[in-house]
Amino acid sequence: MKTIELTIDEKPATVEEGTSVFDAARMHGITIPVLCHAHNERPVGVCRVCVVDCGDKVLQASCVRPAENGMKVFTASEKVRKHRRMVLELLMSDHPSPCARQTVSGDCELETQAAAEGITAPRFSKRVSPRGQDDSSLVISVDHEACILCDRCIRGCDEIRNNNVLGRRGKGYNAGIAFDLNRPMGNSTCVSCGECMVSCPTGALTNKSVVRTVLPGGDPVGADELKQLPFFQKVSGTFLELNKNAVIKRHFKAGDIICREGDYGSTAFYILEGKVQVFLQSMMSQKPRPAEPPGLLDRITHVFSPRRQPPNANQGNIPIDAIVDLSREKPVAELGVGDIFGEMTCMSLYPRSATVRASTDCIMLEMLRNVLDVIQRNKTLRAEIEKNYRKRALEDHLRTVPLFATLSPEFIDELAQKVELVRYSRGEVLCSEGETAHNFFLVRIGFVKMAQEHPGGQLVFAYQGKGGFFGEMGLLKGGIHEFTVTALDNVEVVRIGATEFRGMVDRFPDVANSLRRIAHEREAHNARHSAAVAAVSLDSFLKQGLMEANSLLVIDLEKCTRCDNCVKACSEAHDGFTRLVREGLRFDKYLVPTSCRHCRDPLCMIGCPVGSIRRRNSLETVIEDWCVGCGLCARNCPFGNITMHETPDRSGQKASVKRKATACDLCADLPEPSCVYACPHDAAHRVEPNHFFRNLISAASDENMFVTPADVEGGSRLER
Amino acid sequence: MRIDSSHRNWAVASVSILGLATLLYLPYSFFYPGGARGNSLPGLIYGVLGYGMMLYAGLMGARKKVPLWRIGRASVWMRGHLWLGALSLPMILFHSAFYARGPLTFVLMTLLVIVILSGLTGAMLQHFLPRRILSDVPLETIYEQIPTVREQLRAEASTIVDGLCRKSGAVAVAAPPETGRSAPVATAEEEEGLIGLTESERMNLRQAYNTGILPFLRDPESPDSPLGDAKHAAVFFEALRKQLPTSIHESLSDLESICDEERQLTRQGRFYLVLHGWLLIHVPISITLLVLGGIHAIVAIRY
Repeated sequence: MKTIELTIDEKPATVEEGTSVFDAARMHGITIPVLCHAHNERPVGVCRVCVVDCGDKVLQASCVRPAENGMKVFTASEKVRKHRRMVLELLMSDHPSPCARQTVSGDCELETQAAAEGITAPRFSKRVSPRGQDDSSLVISVDHEACILCDRCIRGCDEIRNNNVLGRRGKGYNAGIAFDLNRPMGNSTCVSCGECMVSCPTGALTNKSVVRTVLPGGDPVGADELKQLPFFQKVSGTFLELNKNAVIKRHFKAGDIICREGDYGSTAFYILEGKVQVFLQSMMSQKPRPAEPPGLLDRITHVFSPRRQPPNANQGNIPIDAIVDLSREKPVAELGVGDIFGEMTCMSLYPRSATVRASTDCIMLEMLRNVLDVIQRNKTLRAEIEKNYRKRALEDHLRTVPLFATLSPEFIDELAQKVELVRYSRGEVLCSEGETAHNFFLVRIGFVKMAQEHPGGQLVFAYQGKGGFFGEMGLLKGGIHEFTVTALDNVEVVRIGATEFRGMVDRFPDVANSLRRIAHEREAHNARHSAAVAAVSLDSFLKQGLMEANSLLVIDLEKCTRCDNCVKACSEAHDGFTRLVREGLRFDKYLVPTSCRHCRDPLCMIGCPVGSIRRRNSLETVIEDWCVGCGLCARNCPFGNITMHETPDRSGQKASVKRKATACDLCADLPEPSCVYACPHDAAHRVEPNHFFRNLISAASDENMFVTPADVEGGSRLER
Repeated sequence: MRIDSSHRNWAVASVSILGLATLLYLPYSFFYPGGARGNSLPGLIYGVLGYGMMLYAGLMGARKKVPLWRIGRASVWMRGHLWLGALSLPMILFHSAFYARGPLTFVLMTLLVIVILSGLTGAMLQHFLPRRILSDVPLETIYEQIPTVREQLRAEASTIVDGLCRKSGAVAVAAPPETGRSAPVATAEEEEGLIGLTESERMNLRQAYNTGILPFLRDPESPDSPLGDAKHAAVFFEALRKQLPTSIHESLSDLESICDEERQLTRQGRFYLVLHGWLLIHVPISITLLVLGGIHAIVAIRY
């Protein structure tokens, strides 16, 4: 290799041809301040802090200026220092001081160098339009305000790690770093390797302290030990080092309970050794034991009060927060080495969906969500999880959907190779209304919202949880999505491409017919929903959420004699627990008692860890018997129409009570709701509110007179 | 139960039955050998029909005990109870030929008249009172919950008065250090949005509460309290407003609203008693009537 000779600060230096002035100086013990250049990254010369005087017309960025034979370089002349100070001063004027890094560890490179140059308060005014912060990632905090656009993170991500997630966005004063196509970091394809954070010279990218980074008890597992485990081999060592104690090892003896259904948690478990049993403790606790035949009196009374089997009551599996679902007949499953459970609880803080008991002596890794998030983002680990899912659970999952029950095993095998498992973060849009439909989606984890844009706002048509599906309408009808589907939490879906979907429709006429029927039903339902909403204009009607009801219990207070027969009948129909409280808001002369409205937009269904609150392809919202009593639906109901009850638990040998959510089920097993049937004064009615109140609404609209909830509280009627 | 157009069919049927029964009764009364009597065949038919109607009306109570039995909607039963129950009186009168011979029949007739009159009273009350409750008691609650709501109202009133009468200790609150300016001093009350009262104003308020508001809240049905009447209450609070600064008038309005709600609850209680009180006469006498009517039938047929 040819060598060249030059002088740096009047000291002779010999370096190989092609060496930059910056490296030549470093090799000869001369330090040139720099921000945008790191020794393991390609130099780009964007920060201009490393400018030196090479005798050229202008000062040169030493990191990109190749050394030349006979070159005389001055790295700290007055001219150079003046220019460097100016650059630092300009950068400081656009940088919060102290930034997060300077505050925590005092090693922000920009602030350190500025202090060395004696820059305390920059002469230039601060930026007026804020650049913002991005807290969407569980691991890394992004403070765009502190970014100096040195691009070290971009080169770290793209060139060192080859992840190609980070890049630039905007131009000039509005320039900044961006993840993917300018998505929030948490929603991007970032794998949280931590390289950008390590590369960043300022506090723009810092390690984020999660709420609880230390798990109590258990055996701590060091980063080195974790790296020995195949599951963590691909996780960044930097990250594991920064998140010590976010993963711990726990030992369980056979029979130990690892987690209980209904409990709130924030961790997921990875089975290192042993086997566990997943089951529902509360299953069938409310129903009489089948071994007891009905008595003579029961048979006689049954003649007068025949109960019918609700439609679809026993179809499908119970979705739980694990790779498998539980069958309704025998709600027990087994998990073994390499399986993860508790992902939904960990990522979205939902209550545990099932009880897990060690069937043999077990060793588990319990991890917090920052760790699980990194694992789920890691491409290699994702591939592993997907492979496992395809092998063990995809078929069960597809068969959970009744319309796929007739697919042949061969086709499912074929399909398993082609489907994708895709993750979405809260708020991410899975598909947009009016967009070309390319996929059919099956929800594996989390909840999505299906909505359409209407004048005046978004109209929610449905929520889908595990086992829910969408996209078929778009693929079957014109190839355009009819809904915007948005992730409500951390969602994972099975994405089936249009080609595979069409192949399935062509090969299995039963499935095709079922899909078409469901698409028609949804279309008709949506049309009804849209028409109902379009017909409503009254403010208070909307404020009370009455238009959202599918079936509203109203009591005509001019007819009601307050005899409470409705409440007694309700209580009689539901094992002594009434699902109706004769108190609530009023609309004109009608009382809207506290009783489930079977909303069009059933917010109560969001987050149920076991999917026990649901619709059975019919109007009523029912809470199935496997409710784990977590109370999430009761908290989600905006009208307070779901109550928690202590009910006798008959599942075990010992007498005990179990907490259950209860809501009006419209007496689905009887021909008519008992409250309405038992009202002797014809005052109680179950109505479709938009139809029932239509005269009242139009009259009130004409007169501009209506009652608001606040007015009702104050007991007055207001003119507007 | 409102007697409205939904009763039209029942009303037409009942009037038709009554008309037919009257039409048949007239020749029977005038031309039947020996005159109209309870033990004659037509008289027995009227008696069976009348007792059957009474029995049906009486079964209404039993039907309420089995709300889940699908044996007809309760509202249909109620209409039947009203119209057939009312129709039973003329039927029994036709049966007895407008005479009450013997002590048992006299008692039965008296009881029947009482039952019918109490029933009609109840029907009228149930027709009119719900509308009155709707207009006069906008803050109606569940009757059984009234004591609980009253307790809450008392606690609320006490909290308001205690808050207003708290002594205004001037607690200095320092200005945020980053302002770098001299710290203005604010009282704790100002921080909370309250303005302190003078000692005499506090005493006035406390006295008005202890002697006027609290006794009323403890015993809202006492005739001695001026707050039991809306007009007197308005005068009471107006006088209080004049004595106290405008800054606490909003709180006084809250106290006034609490007293108003108390009055509404009292009114609701009274309405409730009237709305359901008549049943205390109607139900036991109906049961007695049915039992004695049965005895009458057995005795009459047996002997």
